[in-house]
Amino acid sequence: MRTDYRLGIDAGGTFTDFVLADKTGQVRLFKALSTPQDPTLAIKNGLALMTEELGVSATEIISNCDLCINGTTVGLNALIQHKGAKTGLICTAGHEDSLEIRLGHKEDGYRYDPEYPPATMLVPRYLRRGVRERILSNGEIRTPLNEDDVRAACEIFLAEGIETVAISFVWSVLHPDHERRAGEIVREMMPGVILTMGSELYPQVREYTRTSTAVVNAYLAPIMKRYVTAVDAYFQQLGARQPVRYYQSNGGLAIGQAMTDRSVYAINSGPASAPAAGLYVCAPFGKTDVITVDMGGTSFDITLTKDGSTNINKNIDFLRYRIGVPMIQVETLGAGGGSIGWIDEMGLLQMGPQSAGSDPGPACYGQGGQLPTVSDANIVLGYLNPDGLVGGRLPLDAQKAHDAVKTKLADPLALSVERAAYGMFTIVNANMVNGIRRVTVERGYDPRDFVLVGAGGATAAHITALATDMGIDTIVLPKLASGLCAFGQIISDVKYNYMATAVLRLDNDAAYARIDSLFNEIEAQGIAHLQTDGFAESSTMIKRSLDMRYVGQVHECTVEIGNFPVNAHTIDQIKAAFHARHEQLYTYSEPHSTVEVVNIESTVYGLVEKPKRMHIVAGKPAEQAIKAHRDAVFSADGKRIRTPIYDGSALGAGATVKGPAVIEEVTTTIVIEPGWTAVLDESGSYLITRKEAK
Amino acid sequence: MASATPSATKVDPITLSVVRGILETTQREMTLSLEKTARSSVFNLAHDYSTALFNARPEMILQGQDIPIHLGSLIPAMKVVAGYFEGDIHEGDLLIHNDPAWGGSHAIDTCFYKPVFYKGKLKYWTVCKGHLTDIGGPVPAGYNPNAKEIYAECLRIPPVKIWDRGQPRKDVLNFIFTNMRARRDQEGDFNALIGACQVGERALIGMLDKYGEDVVDACIDTLLDMAEKQMRNLISTVPDGTYEGSAIVEDAGHGFGDMTITAKVTIKADTCHIEISSPPQIPYFINSYEGNSYSGVYLGLMMFAQLPPPYNEGLYRCISVNMGPKGTLCNAQEPAPHMNCTTTPMETLTDAVRLAFEKAVPSKVSASWGHANGLNIAGWDKRHDEEYVTMVLATIISGAGATPSQDGWHACGPECCFGALTSGDVELLEYSYPIIIHRYGLMTDSGGAGKFRGGSGTAWEVEPLNDDMTFITFGEGRRIPAVGAAGASSTMIDEKVGRLELVEGDHSETIRENVIKVIKPGDRITNMNPGGGGYGDPMDRAVEKVIWDIKNGLVSVKGAEQDYGIIITDPEKLTVDMAATETLRATRRAVAAK
Repeated sequence: MRTDYRLGIDAGGTFTDFVLADKTGQVRLFKALSTPQDPTLAIKNGLALMTEELGVSATEIISNCDLCINGTTVGLNALIQHKGAKTGLICTAGHEDSLEIRLGHKEDGYRYDPEYPPATMLVPRYLRRGVRERILSNGEIRTPLNEDDVRAACEIFLAEGIETVAISFVWSVLHPDHERRAGEIVREMMPGVILTMGSELYPQVREYTRTSTAVVNAYLAPIMKRYVTAVDAYFQQLGARQPVRYYQSNGGLAIGQAMTDRSVYAINSGPASAPAAGLYVCAPFGKTDVITVDMGGTSFDITLTKDGSTNINKNIDFLRYRIGVPMIQVETLGAGGGSIGWIDEMGLLQMGPQSAGSDPGPACYGQGGQLPTVSDANIVLGYLNPDGLVGGRLPLDAQKAHDAVKTKLADPLALSVERAAYGMFTIVNANMVNGIRRVTVERGYDPRDFVLVGAGGATAAHITALATDMGIDTIVLPKLASGLCAFGQIISDVKYNYMATAVLRLDNDAAYARIDSLFNEIEAQGIAHLQTDGFAESSTMIKRSLDMRYVGQVHECTVEIGNFPVNAHTIDQIKAAFHARHEQLYTYSEPHSTVEVVNIESTVYGLVEKPKRMHIVAGKPAEQAIKAHRDAVFSADGKRIRTPIYDGSALGAGATVKGPAVIEEVTTTIVIEPGWTAVLDESGSYLITRKEAK
Repeated sequence: MASATPSATKVDPITLSVVRGILETTQREMTLSLEKTARSSVFNLAHDYSTALFNARPEMILQGQDIPIHLGSLIPAMKVVAGYFEGDIHEGDLLIHNDPAWGGSHAIDTCFYKPVFYKGKLKYWTVCKGHLTDIGGPVPAGYNPNAKEIYAECLRIPPVKIWDRGQPRKDVLNFIFTNMRARRDQEGDFNALIGACQVGERALIGMLDKYGEDVVDACIDTLLDMAEKQMRNLISTVPDGTYEGSAIVEDAGHGFGDMTITAKVTIKADTCHIEISSPPQIPYFINSYEGNSYSGVYLGLMMFAQLPPPYNEGLYRCISVNMGPKGTLCNAQEPAPHMNCTTTPMETLTDAVRLAFEKAVPSKVSASWGHANGLNIAGWDKRHDEEYVTMVLATIISGAGATPSQDGWHACGPECCFGALTSGDVELLEYSYPIIIHRYGLMTDSGGAGKFRGGSGTAWEVEPLNDDMTFITFGEGRRIPAVGAAGASSTMIDEKVGRLELVEGDHSETIRENVIKVIKPGDRITNMNPGGGGYGDPMDRAVEKVIWDIKNGLVSVKGAEQDYGIIITDPEKLTVDMAATETLRATRRAVAAK
């Protein structure tokens, strides 16, 4: 049997992207409208597009794929719209409300807003049932589990028609027996129930985080299960050789069963593949410090990779729900091609976060949108081709763009249309830059040490401006930018996080031995899991990290460590890594203070063979690819400069384009500002650099 | 208050937006750094700190969205501290101070001020203010209900340099730490506060490098002017006139009786003058010095103004305040004891200002939030053989007031913090202190009745583990519930106010006064915090909303009848006698109309 292809399917808010890589290194990009009501429909439609272009049936494509990979927003959408399953929670009596108290906090930014609503409860109070039991902070049992209380809770759940239950007890992480026994009773009384146990899903300290994570998981599990079952069956019917792999928000793949058991890992999987894709496209240039930015229609996602590894968030509020499990850190802003420009109460020009979406869309879409958007500004500035986006399929109305910017912004601010449009461009860039600061400067990284990678359809028009503002000198912009996340999925590995808790001061041999044995224990579990997924031990890999702090601190720093035995000889190395990280983040360290470990984590990878790289051959001189000129604006004074427009598909490897210039690719438009130079690399990416940094 | 210097450089609107973004990001970086590195659970779990940026004048150019308690008081404090060292401020200095007689709020909130120099010139101050675990004095954690004078409360720190031109003043630091409990944690917290000031400095210098001094200065002046204009525009919408609001500070065991605070708000065109009158100061820890009172007044103002961030001093240029004569409760002077002042009487002062604005603009009013009524705990942690002492922020989490559009948030108060606190995870608290938290939950019938219900208050039940524990209660709000708005009031009062239940062996009692007591392992105390005030006539609350509240245990069947006039015939199925309900509600409305 041949394995000609690998298929990646990334369902986004508006479009579902399909990336089909073949043996020769050719990568094809397809886009179908997303179908949130029936997510498998978009997959069928996308396969139909491939059949049309390749002249090969869906069955032939799928049965010739070595792997089919799917990133889905099913879980995300259910959480956004509060359309998860009716869920019950069994918890320690007295602590039924931690989910609703939310640590007693109201989110910053809404302090005096009388209309900002409380977060919607995924489990209403009457379905949060306390049972008598108690473990103490040293792991001892204070009150044994009252099994009758568990049964009484099940009776209520049965009467309420509940199909999914979370169990989360205080300090279960130190002594999981009570949760386990309660789980047995629930399974007995509620056959067919989907059960989430806090201490299994997220075995780390913090009751509120663990309970909330378990509840989100339970809430999404039935939805994910139905989706995964439908997709698995569809691909099986098409003759898939392997179970479909799903993309997780930790940046790795998982099989369908894991997505049901750990659905909380599915919630932000869309942008989570960006770091892998960014690293991949930077590899030919030997770069491992990468910021990947993805600007679509309504949002802007930022991810950061340092020395080849990516920032991971734990214990954060996501869509107002506390999630403990590791997620690729994605900073998301309301900044996209559809972001609307407006004047605030103080008379300042603002961009977004409101977006014109796809209906009515930006004014230039000519679908009735009256408000000026980023896309409209980019038309006025001469960046975007009025003949249209997506290969000319959607013509743009330059006059409508001009009018919207003029009437809504330029006239009220007493600026020329060009200056107003350039202001919109600058402010949306500034918003994005502040977002980039949050993942760099706020985490102790200097953005100037990084390569900026552009992903998503709208990014390329802003990429040189963003880099200039951040002081970044090197950009990598792949021709595939518009589908880069789907591409990231097909080059990712299977990845599972295994965690344990051990609050131990690092001043005695017993602590080192305990840490060492915990690592070995969770890693054995992880490798066993990968083996059931079909990975030989030789194609697995393990990465370790420790959450550490100074004694007396409450929040930890996550520090990656090597795979060496933890003992009296190696402990200094571990402590030194912690001191260094603390200093980098917070300007100081306390080398003489005692350090303690709180959480232990091992990430296990099942390594997947990567598809062959794209290869572009040398072509004619770049000048011959100039297809037109436009008068474009590159400065705040609004002055127009005659700018060459290049046809990207006519450029060969080694072609050099000096700014100011615009390169039009089939699915994206790259603006090269003055001072920047783009060279098309044989790997299919533009390397865009500037000689003198400001 | 200093007035703006006209900007010489014309600012383009684009750079202005960018500079504003950098200031906000800088402040956020400081906050994050402080939270992540601090030892005191009052910082790292509870967010009881604030960070701010000042220019060289010094005017506040950015106030974080942190605790409203600190909202106003940093402004006068910064001026006092910079004034004290005028002519003697150098690169590498670091100043601290906590004393209310020197412009501070309450002494346990200690402020760190780092002058930021650029090219040899003072440009900014990065400022962090935080609630330390302890500040010396006879009672752990600073709150001493028995203090008759400020000298019996704490170590007072007037403006002092702890770094001099880049050199830590070890003698001064040692002097301070020697006077405090829990030295290890205090040293760690000082490092965290200094680190946060440095994080801010790093970002501000980066901004000057990039945009240049002139441009940045002009942008900041413009931002101050714009905030001023925004507040003036808002005040202009209020009809000219004088409006008065009064609220009561309960007698929490001091024996001087209930006391009334009155705020008189005079609106004239685009200016607002606020005059406070309060009774003479008393020898009890609830006196508020002027700096702290600014926070109370500004919070009442913001409950009316409802402005979104960012906040800077320009907002207050059109506001003038007279705190009343020296020696009164809201304008205290030495030797008045004061430690409880950031909650009591500040919340009552806030209520008085809010109620005055309610009269001015009845359509734009939210109900009062539950007042703080909390606990400090201290003792010996046998697990590590070390002392522990802390304020328990989980014990002051009360209900928020309802608004014209929705029920109040549960568990979001107290009023003086306005949702900025976090109470800390139960496991992290049990890890940090030798205690068992038996309950942390919402309380039935605690939210103030109204068409929109006030948020529920919380109960926090604790038992000491291994050894005796001292607890100290503070605050008030144990007899008078949070004040409703637009005609809201409750019939069932006892469930809506704060109190503490003590169970010692067979003995149990309810405590409504501020006390210091010691309990043993096996004993339990439950601290209960009030709910928020309701909005609108409770007889107008939709029946199905009350039923949903009953189903979720937030309102009892009895509460439904007493507070909402709803007659439930079957408490199991929650069936309502609609006819009887209508009759009862009509009667109640008629009585209220009289």
